[in-house]
Amino acid sequence: MAGLLTFFTACKNDSSYKTLIITGQNNHLWKASSPILKQILDETGIFSCEIMLTPEKGGDMNTFNPDFSKYKLVVLDYNGDSWSDKTKSGFLQFVKDGGGVVVYHAADNSFPEWKEYNEIIGLGGWGNRNQKDGPYVYYKHNELIKDTTAGNGGSHGKRREYLVKTRMDHPITKGLPDRWLHGTDELYSQLRGPAKNMQILATAFADSALGGGTMRDEPMLMVLSYGKGRIFHTTMGHADEGGGPAMQCAGFITTLQRGAEWAVTGNVTQKVPFDFPTVAGVSLRSDFKQMTIEEVMAQIGSYDITKSTKYFTYLESEIRKQAGDETGLLNLEKMMVTVLKNKETTVEAKRLLLKELSWMGSEYSVPVIKDLLTNNDLKDEAAFAYARLHSKK
Amino acid sequence: MTNKSSRRDFVKRSAAVIAGAIVLPQIIPSSALGMGGKKPPSDRIVFGLIGTGSQGMSDCRDFLRLNNEVQFVALCDVDANRLKKAKEEIDISNKNKDCRTYGDYRELLEKEKLDAMLIALPDHWHGIIYSAVANKKIDVYGEKPICRTIEDGQTIVSAVKKNNIIWQTGSWQRSEANFHRGAELAINGRVGKLKYIEVGLPDGNRGIGTPPVQEVPPELNWEMWLGPALKVPYRGVSHWNWRWILDYSGGQLTDWAGHHIDIANWGAGLENTGPVEIKGTGVYPVDGIYNVPVEYDFRCKYSNELEMRVANASRLPLGMGTTWHGDLGWVHVDRGNIISASDPKILNEVIGEKEIHLYKSDNHYQNFVDCVRSRKETIAPVHVAYRAISVALLGEIAMTTGQTIKWDPYKESIIGNQRASRMLSRPYRQPWTLPTV
Repeated sequence: MAGLLTFFTACKNDSSYKTLIITGQNNHLWKASSPILKQILDETGIFSCEIMLTPEKGGDMNTFNPDFSKYKLVVLDYNGDSWSDKTKSGFLQFVKDGGGVVVYHAADNSFPEWKEYNEIIGLGGWGNRNQKDGPYVYYKHNELIKDTTAGNGGSHGKRREYLVKTRMDHPITKGLPDRWLHGTDELYSQLRGPAKNMQILATAFADSALGGGTMRDEPMLMVLSYGKGRIFHTTMGHADEGGGPAMQCAGFITTLQRGAEWAVTGNVTQKVPFDFPTVAGVSLRSDFKQMTIEEVMAQIGSYDITKSTKYFTYLESEIRKQAGDETGLLNLEKMMVTVLKNKETTVEAKRLLLKELSWMGSEYSVPVIKDLLTNNDLKDEAAFAYARLHSKK
Repeated sequence: MTNKSSRRDFVKRSAAVIAGAIVLPQIIPSSALGMGGKKPPSDRIVFGLIGTGSQGMSDCRDFLRLNNEVQFVALCDVDANRLKKAKEEIDISNKNKDCRTYGDYRELLEKEKLDAMLIALPDHWHGIIYSAVANKKIDVYGEKPICRTIEDGQTIVSAVKKNNIIWQTGSWQRSEANFHRGAELAINGRVGKLKYIEVGLPDGNRGIGTPPVQEVPPELNWEMWLGPALKVPYRGVSHWNWRWILDYSGGQLTDWAGHHIDIANWGAGLENTGPVEIKGTGVYPVDGIYNVPVEYDFRCKYSNELEMRVANASRLPLGMGTTWHGDLGWVHVDRGNIISASDPKILNEVIGEKEIHLYKSDNHYQNFVDCVRSRKETIAPVHVAYRAISVALLGEIAMTTGQTIKWDPYKESIIGNQRASRMLSRPYRQPWTLPTV
């Protein structure tokens, strides 16, 4: 009874999932990446993250002894010395009991000798991984290949932007474009491992013409199960100082957030953001945060067509996402009308807004459009919008 | 289409040209006086050309390659340099300097007596000019897509019918053997009952950002180039690249609808109807003035349980071209004389005497010329072109709204969606209006 009470209290007091980010050793810039991972996950409101550091390389690993049972999710940003047996078994028990795991980038380089860990990550690279550790797994001509050829595991070509291709329907990929351009990153290739209970959600083609590559569709996002635990593995997100384009990529951020939620609950409740990249171009968030639609509208107000039209593209994307939702569309329309009425708004921005309102607007827009029919700069666009809003078709 | 207009009308109009020639005797070149096995001018079809850009001139040369069937006597363009160059080329062909040039099609229509007009313009001008030329009872060879909006298309179709003119759309694939053969196999059930059609069109353009506003070059009448479209400052994008801006075009999708969607309709018997439900997604450029979709993928359902998917080629297993899938197999056609099938035996099938034999033409330009003389329907008549581009325009509306669009192909209206319905037409910038038919 007491246990039950504690359970309910825990749920009531803190609905976000306690998350442990483990780092402290990595051949990558973990001091840059781990706070960004925390920010990305905390921002969803679904997770509350703590970062826990292991001792430095060569330090006494017995002092690293987290109580995994306090957490719903463990995020691995760690590539370093072996953990103590106690910590290892604590981690395995956590996963077996249904704990969620996110394997981030070089975490799949870690612990080549730890069998169970490699079953959790599915595929890994470097650390003398070779044919003894499992097959290479990739797609070739849309066929899933498990390739037992001898050879080292792990490679990547020159860093570049690359196209990520969604391979299957899954809560994490639901609503995402089937192909999208990722910010400049390492394209992990030739990973090999046990690959048990693993599904590949997305791949990227390692094109040798674009800076070295295997000419295979290499796994980028994977989901696995281990015991009752769910694992989300992203090979993406190589960190520069301050994060850099691989971590700023709205595609990396969104898939990480969605993958983390799925790892905890088996489901994804987050909406696909309007700035999710497409094949048309990368979408970077300079501060890793998603803009609100209000911030987008503010940007549109000071819109200078020679600088960028991307905020307007975001607005159009958001309008499509609200399709069929009259309340949502009216909210957007009200925001558009506010910007349209604002004296500070540029003429270029007003022209674009009038064209957009011409099809998506309602009677709500009509008074302000009517006022603009006599405005020298905007009369054509106002007449266009007015006529369309009153077309009889 | 029945032809109430007769051979006599054509002869009458030819006579009018000859009458004009008497006033201006230099119009009759000596080479045309029935010498050297060439047709005398009275037998040649007197053409005007509106739009002397790359497509207009390419079509023009194709007409001139015919055996002295046509003569171009009047040219029109909003770019004085292009007009001058085109006249030089036509003068050489005519062996005189008499070809007239115009910067405004209205003046051309007022002054010239023509049998036929070749028209190759940006799509946003099609509604007005195709209808205006039809209203002058001049036969038209018009470039696809025939319209930028459904309403433009309806107006053009009405104008062509009411004035009984001969119309040929520049959907020249119809006059190529492989497309004809593929469509004939499909429509005669050689792949079984048609279930699914896949149409692959080119991938989109990635964009150029936003070039700075520039001074309009002295040879270009920018105001006239824009015409009914909303006024925008000149940024060096006009000829050719108008294709990537939604005000003037729907991109590769609408450009190619008049080819592979048209062929798909031909082989599926959909030339006089349209889909009942359309849904899909587009990918739009993130930044810059080019705003047509760079990727597009939508599905159309037809009342007979048939589905058509239209997408940019890299999204489809067979890439570019049209593939008809039936319950017994498939046939695929594409440019480059490509025709393939799920079973090569399908390609050897003979179409029996009592089966459907589709209209046959070996030369798209000759077909138009022949029909201008015979007053018979061409291989690519206007209502067929309208149904082909309608598919793309409805797909565009579905992608823009993010919604499933319900379409009544008989009433030609969108059902129960006011927002989507607004996109069936575009108000024109004053003083331009669609001609009344």
